[in-house]
Amino acid sequence: MWGQLRRWTVAVTAAAACLAVVPQATAQEARSSAERLRVAIHSYENNLTPFTLTLTTFPVTADMVMLVYDSLFYSQASPNPEPWLAESATMSDDAKVWTVTLRPGVVWHDGQPLTAEDVAFSFDYYQRQAGASGRYAHHVFDVPGLERSEVVDDRTVRFFLRDPAPQFDIMPGADLPIIPKHVWENVTEPGKATSELPVGSGPYQVVEMVSDQRYRLVANEDYFKGRPTVDEIEMPVVKDPAAAFAALRTGEVDFVTRNVPPELIGQFEETPGIQVARATKFESTQLNFNARKAPFDDPAVRKAISLGTDSQALVDTVLLGRGLPGRDGFLHPESPWAAPRGGHELDPGRAARLLDEAGYGATDPDGVRKSADGTRLELGVLVSSFEPQDLRAVQLMSQQLAPLGVKVSSEALDPVSLRQRRQAPPGQIPGFDAYLSTLEAHAHVDPDGLYYFFHSPGPKGFGGVITGWGNSRFDQLTEQAAVSGKEERKPLLHEAQEILAGEAPAIVLWYRSGEWAYRSDAYAGWVEDPGQGILGKRSFLPEYVAADGVGNEQEQAGDTGTGGADGGGGGAGTVVVVGAMAVVALVGLAIARRRRSTDLDPD
Amino acid sequence: MGGHVLRTVGQYVLVLFAAISLNFALPRLAPGDAVDYLLPPEQAGSLSPEQRRQVLAQFGLDQSVPTQFRDYLSGLARGDLLFSVRYGRPVGELLGERVGWSALLVGGSVLLSTVVGAFLGFRSAWRRGTARDAGTLTGVMLVDSLPPFFVGMLLILVFSVQLDLFPIFGALPTVDTSGLALVAEVVKRSVLPLATLTLASIGPVYLVARSALVSELQEDYVLMAEAKGLSERQVRRHAERNALLPLSTVTLIGLGSLVGGAAVVETVFSYPGLGRLIYEAVLARDYPVLQGAFLLLAVGVILANFVNDLLYPLLDPRVRRPRAAAT
Repeated sequence: MWGQLRRWTVAVTAAAACLAVVPQATAQEARSSAERLRVAIHSYENNLTPFTLTLTTFPVTADMVMLVYDSLFYSQASPNPEPWLAESATMSDDAKVWTVTLRPGVVWHDGQPLTAEDVAFSFDYYQRQAGASGRYAHHVFDVPGLERSEVVDDRTVRFFLRDPAPQFDIMPGADLPIIPKHVWENVTEPGKATSELPVGSGPYQVVEMVSDQRYRLVANEDYFKGRPTVDEIEMPVVKDPAAAFAALRTGEVDFVTRNVPPELIGQFEETPGIQVARATKFESTQLNFNARKAPFDDPAVRKAISLGTDSQALVDTVLLGRGLPGRDGFLHPESPWAAPRGGHELDPGRAARLLDEAGYGATDPDGVRKSADGTRLELGVLVSSFEPQDLRAVQLMSQQLAPLGVKVSSEALDPVSLRQRRQAPPGQIPGFDAYLSTLEAHAHVDPDGLYYFFHSPGPKGFGGVITGWGNSRFDQLTEQAAVSGKEERKPLLHEAQEILAGEAPAIVLWYRSGEWAYRSDAYAGWVEDPGQGILGKRSFLPEYVAADGVGNEQEQAGDTGTGGADGGGGGAGTVVVVGAMAVVALVGLAIARRRRSTDLDPD
Repeated sequence: MGGHVLRTVGQYVLVLFAAISLNFALPRLAPGDAVDYLLPPEQAGSLSPEQRRQVLAQFGLDQSVPTQFRDYLSGLARGDLLFSVRYGRPVGELLGERVGWSALLVGGSVLLSTVVGAFLGFRSAWRRGTARDAGTLTGVMLVDSLPPFFVGMLLILVFSVQLDLFPIFGALPTVDTSGLALVAEVVKRSVLPLATLTLASIGPVYLVARSALVSELQEDYVLMAEAKGLSERQVRRHAERNALLPLSTVTLIGLGSLVGGAAVVETVFSYPGLGRLIYEAVLARDYPVLQGAFLLLAVGVILANFVNDLLYPLLDPRVRRPRAAAT
């Protein structure tokens, strides 16, 4: 039923866009400040502490958490993050000791001073609450491995690490929200500490939260980076995507945190008062093989499937062109660690040869290859039932790979069931063939991202969880990279990406581009922050808003755009046709039902 | 009579216990657990068993299933519904916040769909076979066969986007309001969801009302009344009073089933009712919330049935008489 609901929703969203050509007051000049902004979010996430993240809306929630909290550096998507709570930081020669000096005079939302005590406590607390602190904790304690932290004085804290950590400033420095000691020191069950308003140091303070309905944030006027440009941010929870974008049209909200569906972008760009900002969050969608299960434990079979997959066609068909085709080296092309060469190799001829050599030369009458012992080359892909695009991608792959003699099928599951299918009891191999997943910036900009996702199964990283793939040379390279500085790290990571390209434990299908629609007549100061999207704290801080001016350059398009009405006319026609078809179908249904219902009458 | 009530109560207590046990067991049969939901998949998969236990222990979910069941029952006895995993708050508090909105939405739409459905159904039955009957029947069936979220979206498009009459989402206004203005806002925001849910539930009421009156009209007393020379209005009143009986059952049972059915409408309009809470709890494998919400629904449905059982003899003398004779 929910799958059907989603399909309808897409249809209705499209119809909504066509119908909703409400003449708006002509776009005013781009506004770089506002008293009040209404941002439609799609899920309520308790009291917005680092301990309330859930996976369903994870990237957006992390954005919201970072409006309330600060990290030592910002942002994690940058190879040279800007000192934020930190004023300066120095690294020892062996890169195992970092000394961080904090900015003077920073205060928490409740007026208490933020000191080195709080910073040391935060790192300690994430470690103690490793389970509850979800995605944050592992950076601190796996790679680079924090041994202890020491408060030198009020403004200086020193971190001692197990291994050299030349990129401590990026990860965890630019990632971990610093939390106040005086609030958290007595909290033993952070998962239950959800009723108090959060106390952070960030540009916005939460002043109201109504469960599953809204948040209200007000500007932290004493923020150390200057008074935020928007005084108050109202965040209503709007569950339904079609409703959220309809509300943007009517002006009931000014920004929607969801990516604009590709089919709506054109419509929005032509609507006066609405603009579309582009800022990729480095999202990648990939097919992960179960590299421990035959026949996908054979690199040749995996590579052949990769060679037979036309990722450009996937982008064109599934994303309507709003994205970049996948690269065989996994990393997003704009990631600072991505190898300069290495796109996606499409070569069905070579794929066929590889499969022949791998022992799949024979075919069944239906064209599916089989091995000598009769095992058919079938690939079952698990996809999330929440991602209609993923399902479409697998269907398209199934067409692309059919001529090659590989039979691809898909199975849609709710996210938790999918996750469960990926697991197996210790010592056993999970039963799935492959699954689709989506990762965001975090995976692509973390200098240890490749280590995390593809290092062979072991005590650190996720290798065993993602694909189960392992390669000793790759392990060596990523381990060495983890303890190397930026420049020495790059060649190591580039070679690691070549190994990934050769062995294909995962096939990146696409990197979706980030497109967000906002009402420029309400606020146009949005800052396009690569890897962060636009809902970041820089979008509300005067020094960045003035410098960037997303709105200004695009405003002209909005002003001259009278084309919206034409598009609407065509759209209305479509709606009439669709509506007429629906009525005919429904009348037929009604007549059929009427027969049944009249049968019941005691005549 | 007293014995009958006691026996009925006893039966309901048994049914309630069965419902409680099922509510406990069913969610746990779904694959995966709360850790899979709370943490990003890679993280959840790489947690040590120790860390996994640490997360679950906060919510008592690290215990064996029989122990959890015992804790649940003893908690229930104390009126304690445990903690939500998804929201990190007591389940009772969460349900308390939602139940009012659900009552407004579901109660309102049951009332409206009963009144409108009965009105249309009786009118159709009275003019059975005419073009007007056929027209109403087709119209009602057409609306009934539209999926509720589609009806909701259409209403949004027409009344919010085109005519700008009603807000699109939420039960409460975004700006601070109080007093009468707040009441007006809440009413305004409930119009579209209420209309959607009413349209979605009017079909069965209409059909029952129509067929009930049709069969009443074949009865001898109607013929007698007509033969006596009563006016059309008087005849109709006699027949309609009797046709109302089956409607009371449909209405009361509808109360329970509509709460779950409202989830879709609550999603379209971002309305904070029980249906949506349940849907999200299913996704999150939030067992405590599911247990609490289903318990509330089970009690609601059982109560509705109970009231119906008690009321029926009062409404229908034919049911009352044989029992009175037996005691």
